[in-house]
Amino acid sequence: MSILKSIIEHINYVASAILFVIGLYTVLTHSNLLKKVIGINIIETSIFLFFVSVGYVTGGRAPIVEASGNHVYVNPLPSALILTGIVVAVSITAYALSLIIKLYEAYGTLDMDEIMEARSGQTNE
Amino acid sequence: MSSIHFPIYSLIILLAAAVAIPIMRKNFDGFMKTFIIAALVGAWLFSLGSLINVFNHGPHVYNFGSWTETIGVQLMIDEFSAIMAFVILTIAGLIVVYSIRDMEHEIPLQQFGSYYILVYILLFCMVGITYTNDLFNMYVFMEILSLTSCGIISIKRKKENFLASFRYLMLNTIGSLSVLLGIALLYMVTGHLNMGEVGKVIAEVWQSYPINILVSLGFMITGLSIKAALFPLHIWLPDAHSTAPTPSSALLSGLVVKVYIFCAAKILFRMIGQDIVIALDVPTYITYFAALSMIMGSIFAIGQKDIKRLLAYSSVAQIGYIFLGLGLATAQGFSAALFHIISHALMKTGLFLSAGAIIYNKGKRDIRELDGIGYEMPITMGVFTISVLGMIGIPGINGFMSKIYLSFAVLAADKPFFLFVILASSFLNAIYYLPIVIAAFLKESKERKNIMVLDAIPKSMIFPMVVIGVSCVIMGLFPQLVMNAIEQVAPTFLTLN
Amino acid sequence: MYQYKTSEVKVTSDGILFNSTIIITLLAFILGLLGIIGYSTSFLEESSVIATFAREIVNFQSILLWIIGLPLLAAALSLYIDSKWSRGKNLVTIIGTCITYLIIVGLYPQVLEGDVHYELAKVLGTGLNFQLNIISYFLLVMTGILWLMTVIYASVYMQQEDNQKKFNFWLNVTFSSILGTILANDFFTMFLFFEMMTISSYFLVVHKTSKESISAGNVYIFMGIGGGLCVLLAMILTKVYTGVTGFMPAAYELSQLSGEKYIIAVLFLIGFGMKAGMLPFHIWLPKTYVVTVTPVNVISSGVMIKIGAYGLVRVFSTLFTPSIDAVQGYQQSLWYISRNIGAVMIWLGIITMLVGVFMALQQGNIKKMLAYHSISQMGYIIMGIGVATYLGYKGAMGFVGSFYHIFNHTLFKSLLFMVAGVVYLRTKEIDMYKLGGLWRKMPFTAALCLIAALGITGMPLFNGFASKSILHHAIDEAYVYGHYSFKYAEVIFTIASAGTVCSFIKLFGFVFLKKPNEIQKDIKGDHLLMCFAMSGLALLIIIIGIAPNFILNNFLIPAAQGLNFDAEFIERYINNMDFFHINELMKALKVYLLGGVLFIIGVKYDLFHIKLPTWLNIEKTLFRPFYRGIESLHNGVLNKYDLSLVKYDVVIYAYMLCMVLYVLLQHTSL
Repeated sequence: MSILKSIIEHINYVASAILFVIGLYTVLTHSNLLKKVIGINIIETSIFLFFVSVGYVTGGRAPIVEASGNHVYVNPLPSALILTGIVVAVSITAYALSLIIKLYEAYGTLDMDEIMEARSGQTNE
Repeated sequence: MSSIHFPIYSLIILLAAAVAIPIMRKNFDGFMKTFIIAALVGAWLFSLGSLINVFNHGPHVYNFGSWTETIGVQLMIDEFSAIMAFVILTIAGLIVVYSIRDMEHEIPLQQFGSYYILVYILLFCMVGITYTNDLFNMYVFMEILSLTSCGIISIKRKKENFLASFRYLMLNTIGSLSVLLGIALLYMVTGHLNMGEVGKVIAEVWQSYPINILVSLGFMITGLSIKAALFPLHIWLPDAHSTAPTPSSALLSGLVVKVYIFCAAKILFRMIGQDIVIALDVPTYITYFAALSMIMGSIFAIGQKDIKRLLAYSSVAQIGYIFLGLGLATAQGFSAALFHIISHALMKTGLFLSAGAIIYNKGKRDIRELDGIGYEMPITMGVFTISVLGMIGIPGINGFMSKIYLSFAVLAADKPFFLFVILASSFLNAIYYLPIVIAAFLKESKERKNIMVLDAIPKSMIFPMVVIGVSCVIMGLFPQLVMNAIEQVAPTFLTLN
Repeated sequence: MYQYKTSEVKVTSDGILFNSTIIITLLAFILGLLGIIGYSTSFLEESSVIATFAREIVNFQSILLWIIGLPLLAAALSLYIDSKWSRGKNLVTIIGTCITYLIIVGLYPQVLEGDVHYELAKVLGTGLNFQLNIISYFLLVMTGILWLMTVIYASVYMQQEDNQKKFNFWLNVTFSSILGTILANDFFTMFLFFEMMTISSYFLVVHKTSKESISAGNVYIFMGIGGGLCVLLAMILTKVYTGVTGFMPAAYELSQLSGEKYIIAVLFLIGFGMKAGMLPFHIWLPKTYVVTVTPVNVISSGVMIKIGAYGLVRVFSTLFTPSIDAVQGYQQSLWYISRNIGAVMIWLGIITMLVGVFMALQQGNIKKMLAYHSISQMGYIIMGIGVATYLGYKGAMGFVGSFYHIFNHTLFKSLLFMVAGVVYLRTKEIDMYKLGGLWRKMPFTAALCLIAALGITGMPLFNGFASKSILHHAIDEAYVYGHYSFKYAEVIFTIASAGTVCSFIKLFGFVFLKKPNEIQKDIKGDHLLMCFAMSGLALLIIIIGIAPNFILNNFLIPAAQGLNFDAEFIERYINNMDFFHINELMKALKVYLLGGVLFIIGVKYDLFHIKLPTWLNIEKTLFRPFYRGIESLHNGVLNKYDLSLVKYDVVIYAYMLCMVLYVLLQHTSL
């Protein structure tokens, strides 16, 4: 019972950990390049979730200054940071996708294993 | 012009140059070349100014926009960052001068502008990481750095480049994400993003939240190890550094990898603190992996036939040396590691630039085809030989002095086993480097007689190589010039908590 | 059978300037020697004009640096002059060597007064330290003499090879680095010049750039660098564990360590032993000597392997001995380290001696035979150093013997190699079974060869007799004062000396005395200039043979007194040693008879072509598996994994992450 209670209390951490593991597993096991990129996106999402949820203050409101006195605000800093993080993640995804297009043009397949075979066949080690 | 702002001026010049290039004229002519070199020289002069400033007046912090450190971004201009930024800009300057002519055979002329945009943003990020004292700032710079370094690899449109760049991008991203997770965990505990503040808070709350701090440390170290190519996580390095165009390889191998080691040093020693880190036995494990790196890197290099792949594996081995110095967690070890960072940057750049000159001139990359090339390109092979002698450990070149300092540090920290590893690794270095030098100078080439002529490569490529060769020898004969400066760094770094 | 150049020997007639320079150089050489002799026997007054002149010139503060720097200047200058005047580079080399030799000779008065020190601060972190005492001076004079003769010899010999410019350059650089190694007072100074010597002599070894040269050169340089790294490791360990950075008595500090002092000793032994040709690291010697040109053979066996022995002497006679004020006598307990190491060294020396002679008897190629003889004679020297280390306080006899033998061996072995070179120059043949009857055509060369052969075998009235007698006394003392097993060592000593006699009877007989073959009908006679150079060495052999006490009293005894040996012992046994005592002559006679008998047996039963079983070949059992191990490692295993490992990058990351987290979380009570 207490385990369930602590899981629900820290649901954000648990969810983020599960997402991280899912993302890492995707990158590890799938050999399709697009799926690897998606896996990395899942990892990024998990970390953003974690970071933003760290800033939550119980009973706080959205951090927008209003005219009427002090209230408890949620910590705005993580949200700001994660905005930057999301931008970075998007640019990395964009770059990775363009590389995938070029790889497909060069090798004719999107499968990492097949590309590695083609490559080890042709290098002169 | 107040001298406090000098580091900022370097950063601004680099960024402004990167932004200004696409605005200027389309074709890459003499004006563009002058502009590029002028921008780099300007940034270099400002870093020199800040170096002199730090050694005269002592370290100081620089708050961006005068926001205090709890709210704003802070740069820490101490001896460490001043020296390292200066070294980075010097070597990068030499590489850029070299690259102006060398890139002609790698990428078409219209893309030169794009290449230099990427290089300048890369330099901006490297200098930024060296100066910064703020965690998230460091993370942002790291991300941009990984993007641009993948960019300068894949700018050459060949299929190996795309593959290498993709793999590098994926692994770098996973590394950065680990670091971000670590930052998040630390933020959760301390509520600060400034390294100094975080360090202070961790020293107090260490006993109360051990799990958070340990998990964060684990993630950050693993993430940074991928990016700095510590042994089992080095796999992306050979492909990336061997397929990239030569100036990119030199930049990546000589400078970019080291910058991540700076991050690791800052995290371990400035934030977590020397005492906690030693209590956790983290340095011991780092030294084990470093020793593994030194041996396995050299063993992998022995069988390689492509010269740039050989140099890339050799980088893995040399990075092992630096991690060994770092992992000793003593002031002497840290100074030895810093000395080796500088001397390896010089030697590896010299090696890559000479290899690039050979490829530029003859188009040969296979070491079995390099017979007799010492007579055709004596200056190039001369610089190559000097760097090789430094790698093996012949006295008179800076590689020998860094091995000596590292050996003394290892013995002072009472771990004599690593001494044997250092010297075994030197011998392994000799096994794969010497045959190249021997073949170049002593074997008969099948195409021409062995008569010495001057290199048929442009002067702007010879000049950086000669500068690097001469500075290797000077640094080897008079290492105090550098070591005196470095020894001032270590005590402040390791007790800065 | 290695391919040698078969084109016409183009020994041109030399110009007047060249010939006269050589004659002047030889005159300077003789004058220098006379100067030393005269000064030491007080014939030349201390205040005479020449002595004061010499003192003024060499009273220069940085004279030691000039000694090292002059050959480097000559090297640079020879490169420059070669573009103007082709013969000029030889001239510059000869003049440079001559001036260096004269400076060395002129330093004699100053060395007798006391040590000369010089320090070049700030270089290489801790500064370079040079010093000159009697021991180093002795070796300097030896190097100077030999180099002068070699340079003259080489200027004629190398006309038949190409690329003389490179050869002259590296010859000068090697000279400078050898002088630096001898003059070094500090660990790292010596290491700097030691490595410089390895690299510059490598270029001399591979001068011919044929495939065999390069493969022999590979063995040479890898063993050289390996030996250098062992020495470096030993130096670093010594500096950190005992705080000693130079060659100073350190037995007290060393006795505080437990196992490390033996590791340091073994590393020094391996490192310097590799250079000196000690078993089992001698394999580079025969390989290299066959493929190089003769002048390189001369300097290599004359000087460079002696540097290995010099390093052994400096380490084991100073580092492992207690300091002077701590010595109370023979039973001083701190000598035990020295004793253990000395015993090992004596046996290593004995084995080297025996194996060297045995292998030499099997060879037909003259150079390979002489190479194995070099190994064997170095065995004598190492045995002498071993006795000095083993007996410690009473070890002066071994020290004196080995140093004397270093000097003598330089003289006669260089002469032998030069003779072999002249024979090759004239006949294009290096196999002694194919030569014969050369005494008619080349009588002077034959006479020189006879002198050298008598010297190396130890005939009384020639120089080898003196040093071999002292070494025989040394091994006797090891038996008397030490362990009884050295009786067998003495027996092997005698057998090895007999083997040497037998081998040289074989050499002289086959090359010069046998009935001539058809091919050598029309060869020219001796070459005059080269004979001049060689006769200088022969002269010294005979002079030293007639008056062996001269070197003993003026160089070796002061050297031994400078180290930690029992002064009374020196006074009683070594000072004014009577070499021509009937006991010594009987021992020499015994050796000669035994050698003659061996030769007759060998010829009769054709024992000179024994094929040893392959498992005895050290190279195959010790080093080949090492090569093949490394090769198979990267060819088979790693290349296969190199590319396929790339797939597992993220997997490794996941593993590392889990491992790191697991290890770290051990520190909490999770």
